[in-house]
Amino acid sequence: MTADRHEMTDAALDDLFQDARAPQMPEGLMLRVLDAGFAAQPAPGATRAPLSRWRRLAAAMGGWQGMGGLVAATCAGFWIGVSPPQYLPDAALSLLGAGAGFETTDMTEVAAYGWVVDEGSDIDG
Amino acid sequence: MPLDQDTETDDATLLARYARGDASATRTLTLRLTPRVFGHAYRVLGDSAEAEDVAQDAMLRLWKIAPDWEADRAQVSTWLYRVTANLCTDRLRKRRGGPALDEIAEPADPAPGVETQMQSRARMDALTAALQSLPERQRQAVVLRHIEGLANPEIADILDVGVEAVESLTARGKRALKAALAPQKQALGISDDG
Repeated sequence: MTADRHEMTDAALDDLFQDARAPQMPEGLMLRVLDAGFAAQPAPGATRAPLSRWRRLAAAMGGWQGMGGLVAATCAGFWIGVSPPQYLPDAALSLLGAGAGFETTDMTEVAAYGWVVDEGSDIDG
Repeated sequence: MPLDQDTETDDATLLARYARGDASATRTLTLRLTPRVFGHAYRVLGDSAEAEDVAQDAMLRLWKIAPDWEADRAQVSTWLYRVTANLCTDRLRKRRGGPALDEIAEPADPAPGVETQMQSRARMDALTAALQSLPERQRQAVVLRHIEGLANPEIADILDVGVEAVESLTARGKRALKAALAPQKQALGISDDG
């Protein structure tokens, strides 16, 4: 058949692939790649120093910008503690409970309210 | 002299030795990997000068990543083929089209003694042109499978597709190649029995 005569077989194509497996390398390519390899190569014995604990922490906090912000916030907080503005309550007194002005609530009222709601009884009689 | 004398050592070990400053590892990796990278780029791009640029670029990226290479990463060759495939894709996007099949010169009236050489050259030119007529993914898959001789799972890794997609790409690619080359069968000295 005419169609068969024009058809290319798998074997013929495989022969072409086989011939194509070793393309001619451009002259000097190997040497250029080798030179680039030597130029980029670390020196013998040179190892990358592992990051110190502080550097790893700084990196985790967002680098030097993050650490700068953290230090500034710490200093500001310390200074506010040492010399608080007039309108702020005294931190020491607040901690000791003096003038804290909190009143205990009658817990029986709260408990009774809860029970009444939960049970759903005694409201309407 | 064989290009790569140190056939025992695997690529990852050589790359680690390269990163420690071992000059012999540099030579071995260059001799072992450059022909593969160039061959792949040449078959995909169909242009020796461009393939040379891609090969140098891909190998430079390998040198640069060596100190940070992690042993549990993909195989070195798989990574390198992927880089090469991506570099080829970038170049193909920049230029549209390529040499058409009918631009390939017929091997006309060869002088006695050089006929075989010319026909061999014509066969390679025809294959290169036929490859250029394939869609890019098919071309990458056919070159990696049938010329570089890689297994389908590795090609799947390189092209970032499934193994079934690789099988489909190579099958369609081969069909298209056969159709493209069939009209030139006689001229290229391809006989009916293969």
